[in-house]
Amino acid sequence: MHANAQSAPAPQGAQPILRVRDLQAHYRTSHFGVRRGVKAVDGVSFAVNRGEIYGLAGESSSGKTTLIKSIAGAIRPPLEIVGGSVEFAFLPGYGGLHRAPPVDVARIRWRHLSYIMQGSMNVLNPVRRVRSVFVDFAYPHIGGSRKQFEQQVIAHLARVRLDPSVLAAFPHELSGGMRQRTTLALATICRPDFIIADEPTTALDVVVQKEVLGMIRGIQRETGSSVLFVTHDMGVHAHVTDRLAIMYAGRLVEEAATAEIFRNPLHPYTRHLISSRPRIGDDTPREGLGGSPPNLADPPPGCRFHPRCPLATEICKREVPAMLEADTGHRVACFAVNQGSRP
Amino acid sequence: MNDLLLDISEVSKTFVRGGLWSRQKIAAVSEVSFQLAARRPEILAIIGESGSGKTTLARMILNIETPTSGKLVLDGIDLAAIRNSAGRMAFMHKVQPIFQNPFESFNPLKRLDRYLFMTRRRFSGEAGEGAAETTVNHALHKVGLSLKEVRHRYPHELSGGQLQRVAIARALLAEPKLIVADEPVSMIDASLRISIVNLFKTLRDELGISIIYVTHDLATAYYISDRIMIMQKGRVVESGDARTVLKAPQHPYTRQLREAVL
Ligand SMILES: Nc1ncnc2c1ncn2[C@@H]1O[C@H](COP(=O)(O)OP(=O)(O)OP(=O)(O)O)[C@@H](O)[C@H]1O
Ligand code: SF4
Ligand SMILES: [Mg+2]
Repeated sequence: MHANAQSAPAPQGAQPILRVRDLQAHYRTSHFGVRRGVKAVDGVSFAVNRGEIYGLAGESSSGKTTLIKSIAGAIRPPLEIVGGSVEFAFLPGYGGLHRAPPVDVARIRWRHLSYIMQGSMNVLNPVRRVRSVFVDFAYPHIGGSRKQFEQQVIAHLARVRLDPSVLAAFPHELSGGMRQRTTLALATICRPDFIIADEPTTALDVVVQKEVLGMIRGIQRETGSSVLFVTHDMGVHAHVTDRLAIMYAGRLVEEAATAEIFRNPLHPYTRHLISSRPRIGDDTPREGLGGSPPNLADPPPGCRFHPRCPLATEICKREVPAMLEADTGHRVACFAVNQGSRP
Repeated sequence: MNDLLLDISEVSKTFVRGGLWSRQKIAAVSEVSFQLAARRPEILAIIGESGSGKTTLARMILNIETPTSGKLVLDGIDLAAIRNSAGRMAFMHKVQPIFQNPFESFNPLKRLDRYLFMTRRRFSGEAGEGAAETTVNHALHKVGLSLKEVRHRYPHELSGGQLQRVAIARALLAEPKLIVADEPVSMIDASLRISIVNLFKTLRDELGISIIYVTHDLATAYYISDRIMIMQKGRVVESGDARTVLKAPQHPYTRQLREAVL
């Protein structure tokens, strides 16, 4: 739905660069002998095509970050992959980074796959200057003389409109926007095939956000990278993503081309997400979603949205709706939609 | 009663950055002045780009940061004159913060109910759990939660939105006249965002609390605020009625902001 719709996703039938099948990732904790499993990702399947920006939306704690941590192989206890597979075209045969040998993972990190984590302070080591962080991550892949490398870094920083002086700074000396652009520069300098970005612009003000989104678009178009773009901000999705999946309580509930989601949202939760956005010039009161977000340690049976859904019927409380194609390229998991009685 | 709840005049803050040889002065806030009336509670939005000094200004109002020059007076208290803990306590009775990341504003190892009781006892001097319990439950009800949902729970057991509501309830325990909320909803999805900004309206209308809402989200600022102040590079470049400013921005920077709304 961005301005240049001509950079369309790869033609149908082409091999996707990422295929996720029935992924299940749970947090397993044990407090004083009481064991709990939080089903943060529970049976998620989707594919990302070459050269597309695939968006993932959903409320806080719906499992977005867990899903992409699982995809990026950033899995530390208590997080565990319980089932399913993750297959990148550049790392075939393992079914997930977590199953691949560490040497292979190290080889593809930054070069083929980079990950912009939520809260850029995670990548930027607080006690190291920005220059050292670039040397640590990118120098092993780029090589050459240190002087050439530094020039390349400076040229790349200029593309995200950062002054070379940031190289000498510690992360806490930079404003949120500067930090986020630094992280973006770090994630793109090796021109990776696949970029995973978790809320990369959430902490930014509108002008810088639009600028950074434009930069992500620009770099993506130039390098032909694919991007998995996670944010709860529907405005950002409308602006930057080609296709969009909506996540609720650990599961995908809808997926379609971004423009289609906005024009014709089918799932009751998606419809709420779109209609609750405040807009300048519009004075009608908005309402938050009633009820509380589901407890993923003990999720509601059947459709996980049923306690908050205005259209829920008996079947919704018992059975899990499957993700079915409602229209070409438009998948929805909802009994009301899939049984023809559309909301 | 003082006529002004908050009186800020010509406040500036300069940071010095860098090492011995490359010292750099950064004017984070330059000569900012504004007032909040005591009799008419309002929501004032402070909007600006990254590094425009919004957070620094908010931190000065909260007395976390000391201005390099200028004067801040809150309900008759000159912030520069606060010296001892009794003074700080009296100050915190009047103004309470809400921060961007609710997970960072709670101690992860401390049970939320205990923390709320402790906060209440600190502010009221009430000794027993009984009295505190009623007030805490009341504050939680104001934000759409109840003691039942919070009892025995640790911060990580709540979602970001719930925790942000607990943070607001905690602020209410001090019975403040002013809440300073720095990007309180930027980590939160649209639906919860609306519930929380609707809650701010309720606090203003029913409890008479004024709110300084620091944000870069122009749409929610339009939706809830009465007045708006646009900052750029430490200076206020435009201010006025929120609807007027956002519908017909005058300053080029405000126009640029308006156009960047997705
Ligand atoms: N402790 C500090 N030491 C040095 N410089 C600082 C410090 N705190 C803030 N600054 C600088 O002051 C300027 C204003 O920062 P401030 O955090 O107030 O902006 P902001 O509007 O809140 O930005 P953001 O929205 O990115 O958080 C920036 O240039 C920043 O780098
Ligand atoms: S399956 Fe039922 S409960 Fe779930 S979204 Fe559809 S109508 Fe609502
Ligand atoms: Mg800030």
